[in-house]
Amino acid sequence: MIPFAQIRTDFWTDLPGSSSANLKIIVGLLVGIGVIFALLRMSTQFRRPLIVGSTFIAGLYYILLWLWPKPIDRDPGEVATNPVEGLGFWLEDANPAVSQVRNIIAAFLIGLGVYSLLRIHVGKIAKQQKDWGFSLVLLVSMFGMAGVGFADWASRQGPEGAKLDNQANWGAINYVQDFLFDGLLQQMDAAMFSLIAFYILSAAYRAFRARSVEATILLGTAMILMLSLLGGISYLSDQAIEKMGGTDPNAFINNFRLTELAGWIQNSVQVASIRGLQFGIGIGLLALALRLWLSLEKMGNA
Amino acid sequence: MGDQYRDTGWIGITLTLTILAFIYYNIRRASGGKDLFIRRISGLNALDEAVGRAAEMGRPVLMVPGLSGLTAQTMQALNIFTYVTRIAARFANPILLCCPDAAVYTVGQEIIRDVYQSEGLADRYDPDSVRFISDRQFAFAAGVSGLILREQAAATFFMGDFYAESLIFAETANGVGAIQVASSTEATQTPFFIAACDYVLIGDEFYAASAYLTRQPVLTGSLVGQDWSKLLVIFMLILGTILTTFEQRGMTDTEWKEGKWQTIEGGPRWKTFEDTTVSRWFNPSPEKIKIDRPKEEAPAAPAEAGQ
Repeated sequence: MIPFAQIRTDFWTDLPGSSSANLKIIVGLLVGIGVIFALLRMSTQFRRPLIVGSTFIAGLYYILLWLWPKPIDRDPGEVATNPVEGLGFWLEDANPAVSQVRNIIAAFLIGLGVYSLLRIHVGKIAKQQKDWGFSLVLLVSMFGMAGVGFADWASRQGPEGAKLDNQANWGAINYVQDFLFDGLLQQMDAAMFSLIAFYILSAAYRAFRARSVEATILLGTAMILMLSLLGGISYLSDQAIEKMGGTDPNAFINNFRLTELAGWIQNSVQVASIRGLQFGIGIGLLALALRLWLSLEKMGNA
Repeated sequence: MGDQYRDTGWIGITLTLTILAFIYYNIRRASGGKDLFIRRISGLNALDEAVGRAAEMGRPVLMVPGLSGLTAQTMQALNIFTYVTRIAARFANPILLCCPDAAVYTVGQEIIRDVYQSEGLADRYDPDSVRFISDRQFAFAAGVSGLILREQAAATFFMGDFYAESLIFAETANGVGAIQVASSTEATQTPFFIAACDYVLIGDEFYAASAYLTRQPVLTGSLVGQDWSKLLVIFMLILGTILTTFEQRGMTDTEWKEGKWQTIEGGPRWKTFEDTTVSRWFNPSPEKIKIDRPKEEAPAAPAEAGQ
């Protein structure tokens, strides 16, 4: 039997169910709720420095994680040999826990999202506004899916839950969950996705009309690429051009085969343009990140 | 020296820090009162036109800040939407902000409320104008499309991270005759928006938008810093092209392997990109360094029953 003592623990990693882990969870929860209430009751004048400070500290952690010398060739259980390495070890160990903070906040916030839906749709049903029936369907679906999903999850816990990996052992709730998720939700997602095919057609029809020089270039380029993907047409056109070039496989005219043209457009024109865009987007993102980190950005009341 | 600085690893970090220094220096310069020039962006001139048209028609303005959670792109989209909301508030025009994420919904609500308050029009703020729709991609697409159709949006703004749902939004809005301004940081979705929308902010125009609209010194300075950074990138591209073109000619009998130059087994070969200086700059050697450190003392194992 492997003793528990072999599992490495530190401030950030604790054994599930241990008294110290439970204490940390309770203290963390109380501090979190306390901070939310304090922020709600605080005046904007005092709230701003607190938010600016926490944004700076959160950003500083990731800046340090990126810039501070990362430990070289670190194995589990090793002790740092100097303070620089010590901080590097600490930053690395803290990363999983710090990354979880965002998930925890998101879990709290999903409650606010559900509250938003309830406020809008319960109000609509109560006042019997136009299309209130759809609101009723939404609320029944939301609570039905959550209830069935939770019951399915609960049935899969414990030693008996493992038996449900075999469909022969499923109960009614597992079948209902399967019908709602795989039978309905996934199919409706697929139906929405398939609509894109028709939308591409209608958008392409509008975009590819030769109304200006730019639109004509777009039309020509799109035609070359689309035709190059049609096996029969690209084969016949390539053969015709190769015949014009005669027996010389390096004939200049061979550069104008449909597949060569399409490849040149994709590799030389498209890739270069997209990389140019990506440079701009990357630099813009860096500038925005710097402004957000240092709270230089003024949003709503700018 | 840390793992990330080994061999040529420091070059990429130095470049990034140089770009950050350019941006910060220009922010300080603009904050100090220096008047900096920004060129016109036609897609942004269309924002006023779109909201004005919606006000004339008495129909709502609909905004979608992309499909992501609370990322930098979403914050930038919300930043542009503060401007749209401000104009809509002045015209007493209804707005709808559709959020795919609960965190975005919360932040969006705060920002939109702040806009109405700062305009002195807090009574016009409708809490239901900011809505959480769904965090599933196509459920969100269906929800937003339904809102566009039911509310007959007169102007729609799609800005941020969009994926396959971009064309569903754009074509639905086109179907109700809405004037559309869009921008996606996803290069794969930009062509869809160009095909279906009236105005599109391409690439980094999305990040330049708030500077152009508000003319805040911090933002204009940041934009000029971005332009300096782009000049640096262009210089690096030209230098890299020249170096690589000249270096890649001919044969070589040595190659960089395991952290040092070694003679190629089997004789000389044609040079490839991996043999060039530029490749070495941005691809540090994967050579492993061995460091012996003391091990921490393992805690005592719990006593077995009966011992």
